[in-house]
Amino acid sequence: MLFAVFLPVLLAIFIPFFSKWKEKIHTGYFVLLAPLAVFIYFIPNLGNNFTPISQSYSWIPSLNIGLDFYLDGLSLLFVLLISGIGSLVTLYSIFYLHTSERLDQFYVYLLLFMTAMFGVVLSDNVFVLYGFWELTSISSFLLIGYWNYKERSRYGALKSMLITVFGGLSMFGGFILLSIITETTSIQAMIAQADVILSSDYFGLILALILLGAFTKSAQFPFHIWLPDAMEAPTPVSAYLHSATMVKAGIFLVARFTPIFSGNEWFFVFVSGIGILTLVWGSYMAVRQTDLKGILAFSTISQLGMIMAMLGFGTKAAIFAAVFHILNHATFKGSLFMIAGIVDHETGTRDIRRLGGLVTLMPISATLAFFGTFSMASVPFPFLNGFYSKEMFFTTSLELHDHSMWISQVLSQAIPYLAVFGSIFTFVYSMYLVFGTFMGEKKLDQLPVKPHEAPIGMLISPIILIVGVVVIGLFPNLVNGSFIAHTAEAIYGSPVEKDIYYWHGFETPFIMSLIVVGVGIFLAFFRKNWSSIYSFFPGKLSFNKVYDFLLDQSEKTSAKITNSYMNGSIRRYMALILIAILVCTFTVLAITDGFAWDTSNLAKITVHEVLIAIVMAVAAVSTIFIRNKVGAILILGVVGYGLALLFVVYRAPDLALTQLVVETITVALFLLCFYHLPNLRERTESGSQKAVNLVISIAFGALMTVVAISAHSTKLFDKISDYFLKTSYKLGGGDNVVNVILVDMRGIDTLFEIVVLGIAALAIYGLIKLRNKKEAE
Amino acid sequence: MEIIMSILAGVLFTTGVYNLLQKQMLRIIIGTALISHGAHLFILTMGELKRGAPPILEDGIENYADPLPQALILTSIVISFGVTSLLLVLAYRASKENGTDNMDKLRGSEND
Amino acid sequence: MISNLAVLPIVIPLIAGVLAALFHKKLKVVRIYSQVLTLINTAVVTYILFYVHQNGSVVLESGDWMAPFGIVLVADMLSVALVLTTNIVAIACVFYAPKSLDEKQEEFYFYTFYFLLITGVSGAFITGDLFNLFVFFEVLLMASYGLIVLGGGKVQLRESIKYVLINLFSSMLFVTTIAFLYSVVGTVNMAQIAERVGEVEQTGILTTIAIMLFFVFGTKAALFPLYYWLPRPYIAPNPVISALFGALLTKVGVYSLIRVFSLIFVHERDVTHEFFVWIAALTLIFGAIGALSTNNIKLVVAYNIIPAVGFMLLGIGVYNSTGFTGAIYYLINDMIIKAALFLLVGAIAYLAGTSDLRKMRGLIHHYPLLGWLFFISAFVLAGIPPFSGFIGKLILLQGAMEANHIVVAIIGLASSLLILLSVIRIFIRGFWGEKDESIIPDKKAARGFALPVAFLLFFSVLLGVGAEWFYPSIEGIGEYLMNPQNYIESVLKE
Repeated sequence: MLFAVFLPVLLAIFIPFFSKWKEKIHTGYFVLLAPLAVFIYFIPNLGNNFTPISQSYSWIPSLNIGLDFYLDGLSLLFVLLISGIGSLVTLYSIFYLHTSERLDQFYVYLLLFMTAMFGVVLSDNVFVLYGFWELTSISSFLLIGYWNYKERSRYGALKSMLITVFGGLSMFGGFILLSIITETTSIQAMIAQADVILSSDYFGLILALILLGAFTKSAQFPFHIWLPDAMEAPTPVSAYLHSATMVKAGIFLVARFTPIFSGNEWFFVFVSGIGILTLVWGSYMAVRQTDLKGILAFSTISQLGMIMAMLGFGTKAAIFAAVFHILNHATFKGSLFMIAGIVDHETGTRDIRRLGGLVTLMPISATLAFFGTFSMASVPFPFLNGFYSKEMFFTTSLELHDHSMWISQVLSQAIPYLAVFGSIFTFVYSMYLVFGTFMGEKKLDQLPVKPHEAPIGMLISPIILIVGVVVIGLFPNLVNGSFIAHTAEAIYGSPVEKDIYYWHGFETPFIMSLIVVGVGIFLAFFRKNWSSIYSFFPGKLSFNKVYDFLLDQSEKTSAKITNSYMNGSIRRYMALILIAILVCTFTVLAITDGFAWDTSNLAKITVHEVLIAIVMAVAAVSTIFIRNKVGAILILGVVGYGLALLFVVYRAPDLALTQLVVETITVALFLLCFYHLPNLRERTESGSQKAVNLVISIAFGALMTVVAISAHSTKLFDKISDYFLKTSYKLGGGDNVVNVILVDMRGIDTLFEIVVLGIAALAIYGLIKLRNKKEAE
Repeated sequence: MEIIMSILAGVLFTTGVYNLLQKQMLRIIIGTALISHGAHLFILTMGELKRGAPPILEDGIENYADPLPQALILTSIVISFGVTSLLLVLAYRASKENGTDNMDKLRGSEND
Repeated sequence: MISNLAVLPIVIPLIAGVLAALFHKKLKVVRIYSQVLTLINTAVVTYILFYVHQNGSVVLESGDWMAPFGIVLVADMLSVALVLTTNIVAIACVFYAPKSLDEKQEEFYFYTFYFLLITGVSGAFITGDLFNLFVFFEVLLMASYGLIVLGGGKVQLRESIKYVLINLFSSMLFVTTIAFLYSVVGTVNMAQIAERVGEVEQTGILTTIAIMLFFVFGTKAALFPLYYWLPRPYIAPNPVISALFGALLTKVGVYSLIRVFSLIFVHERDVTHEFFVWIAALTLIFGAIGALSTNNIKLVVAYNIIPAVGFMLLGIGVYNSTGFTGAIYYLINDMIIKAALFLLVGAIAYLAGTSDLRKMRGLIHHYPLLGWLFFISAFVLAGIPPFSGFIGKLILLQGAMEANHIVVAIIGLASSLLILLSVIRIFIRGFWGEKDESIIPDKKAARGFALPVAFLLFFSVLLGVGAEWFYPSIEGIGEYLMNPQNYIESVLKE
């Protein structure tokens, strides 16, 4: 399986070479090999006696991340969908994309996506699954942005990525929590510990985080908004990623975790609630669209909602129906996207208002479209697979589990009505789509290109899919025991056996279907008469606006917040930093009871020292008030020389000498540098500013003093300097202990102190010299 | 005495910080110099004051002042000197180049 | 193990830097010389890493003065791993430099400053003495001052002065805090400080001193609410200098935090480490907001330093071995990717003639390689698998969640999305879009810029895909940090 998963990426490496010959042979033919090979590799697994297979390849065992692949009924369904539809889409793309396009990029992205998708559905390791999951978002981003010279294309790419990566990150958080609780990274091992997870304190959070991942990826309300904009991608991509495979990754995720989560009632509330809402909203909004792909996008949203809702029901029959519908949806929706692409390709437009009457010009496409849309609308013909799954949906919506929470009881009551309501609009948009495009009057003068039937190569793929629609419709049990029963079993946890019938008798589900068709025909016929309702609801309301607002504000608000304090003023920065230090340090001092006051170990106070101190303090304070720059520098000198005097008093002759020398040079430097600068001005800040500065400075000085006194009062240990005094002569060969410390015991300090001085000298030299050169030039 | 010295160092910090919060470059640099002095005084004080002779070994003297803080201060003085010199030249050049020594006029904007 | 090996990563660049000053005008010579010596130093450090991995920490008592009295150099796995990462970043920068700097800047001791910066950074990683750490801080800061003012005009000088002022202030606070600490515990040797603080269970004033040290290092590391000084000065100098700053300087602050708050001040975690977790959360939020606030692509990268530091602090704050492992993995990852991004945006701004995103479009048509390198970098930065950022983030979040800091972990995830948005819009608006026909592409320059970046990204991929080769060792460091006794014993050997 390892090879199967990575085959597309391996092939992608060679695409740049193949694309050199693209004028002779379309690159797509090479690409076709990958999905086809994978499809053929997995097809033998179909059959009645299928058992799950797992294979492990070591990757990062110390983090419990490994390429652990697990093929059960669920992953088999998806692998076959991805590789099967992938082959058809690649074939279709050969005729859709002209060789003048940048085929190499397109196919590299597409192959990248295939690997990512195989990885998602086959990985048993949650973190590997997450990795592939993000890779699907990234490849989708690149494919939507394929024609990135278009503004809409860039917009759609960013939108899809932000929303799906957002969900991905949230899911990642859920996975980490799961892995901590269960101490494993394997999904199957987690399922085995479902009770541990269900009883965890974090269960609600885990559920929410993982469902967010699924809902964003599967375009569930209100995250559906990225999907219509993703239609900027070339049509083969829309058919593949944004209808048949990637958007179903969310469905896959929910299905994968159903054995764990379905034990909790909130799972039903969220999954079915959001699912049914998505179904209703998607189908209602689809009728409003004018772009063929727009209609199909909302249709996809609504169908995904329906599948999601059924997974939420959690009954045996519902899971079976969900699985069946995943397969059916892939067939009819895939073909419809391809036909939309054909129409676009041949007429130059996808605007349904400019289309009409194409049935005589494009008879094959029209026929295919009729099959596809009627199946989607679930018109009760025994040769359309869509009808079967839709009727199962109605049936299961009436047979929900008993629930204890009031919210789930209300939801259970509402679901059948919402199901019918959504399905009516599904019927309406299906009819609108096919009749608007192929029937009615021709508007050839409005078309950029004179339309004619597509080349046969382009038709092969939709034909195969429609054949699938009809075959499944005629012989639904063909795919039952050997295929989807395994899938349902993988989700439900125990064998699911169910026969699929066309005729169930004249029961409630059938009545629901009749209502859908009856009201649907009526609404479809009079669509123009009631479509003004959309200007009332949703009118101008749109979740796109929420997204646009958030995106726009993310920059604007960030700028506002950031510019409010990052104003480039060093004074402001210093003040903020000082306040932070003050508040936190004083707080800590208080809560740890760190203040100490011990007068037993102090030197005697002598008058001359106090006098020096007073002089220094006065000098320091007067630097604030003085307005003469020379005076200020000299007063600063007083402080420095005062310090030197203190060094003498406190038995530090070396320090005193150094301080004297350094102070003298510094004062000279000060005078030199500021000779040319303006004199000190009066301090012009406002009174409140002054007060704030004053408070900060006094508080800071006080803080340092308090900490110093406390530190001095809590001498807890002997000093290491006693050792220096003892060994200075013996081991260091010097009487002057300070000097011995400097050149011997702490020689490294001194060496690098010299280095610091050296660098300073070079830097100053550069500062002065480099300017002269510049000025000379 | 240590308490008085701690207070003096605190005063040096206070005046240093106050100068640091001013607009004019010269005042700011004076502020940094005051803070350095304060820091050095703190180090000295932390080593206990006047507990014996200067740490130059002589026969017959038992008690010496703590030599380690002195060594640390020496290193620190030299480093501060280097930094202050650089800062001075830099301030001089920056104010010449920008035509002002008022830090509030040296804020800059996003794209320069 | 006692061995002179520990001093080599400091001495080699020191000598290299001093010698480079001697023939600073002979550009051709000094370039090749610097490149060769950087490679040699990297090779030596790699050897030391393997040596330490095999034989345990290398401790050098300088001048044979036994610990804790002399200055000890301690090359444990943490230090050496970071020194090696420093050198990898250095390689990319030293090969990028000739293409990016103008000749005057090179002549005026760029290479000397560069080597001494490496000296300071390596010294800070290796020293086992708190005051000596201050000295190495000053070495690297002084070298950075030299670099930031190098050949500067108006803007650069203006931003430099802010940079110098803040760092000067925090250095003074640092040295004062060391004095306070010396007064209480009577030593400046880190192992002995740790031992003594442990003996009295960090009573009294010690926690206050710890918080002051946190602010000292936090200012260098650019944490909330101390990072204001960082973004603009970092983008003022040449991109290669920005890259060195972005990759190395704040990380020394982070390293110091890791060291001090895993070794010394670990006895009052309800006050200190708990506080760090929330500071980390705020750093994540405000950093990401900052990155979104601007259209200046260099500034976007500079702001992105901040949330990354937030992630690392989170790892320290949760105080478990997973957290430390994650913090270190993320630290290594971030040093590399920040350097790569600074070099990249520098190249982009140079080739596009502006760093204003609003004035760019369609660059990918001219510079596809740079475009894709940037694309990958964006995902490394945001922590998308299978790159190094993902592994680091995964471990960090695991550590946070193990410690029940769920809210902060979720803030971390949310900030990842904002981080991704902040950089991917550079790709979308700058690289995508219609081809700008007015640009005459400079393919040769683009290639010169791309190579060092590709070199760095190679490591980002390697640390991600090949995590198995690195993770166990780094996990070992995480566990080692949880047992400060190891460090103390290897230094004091009582």
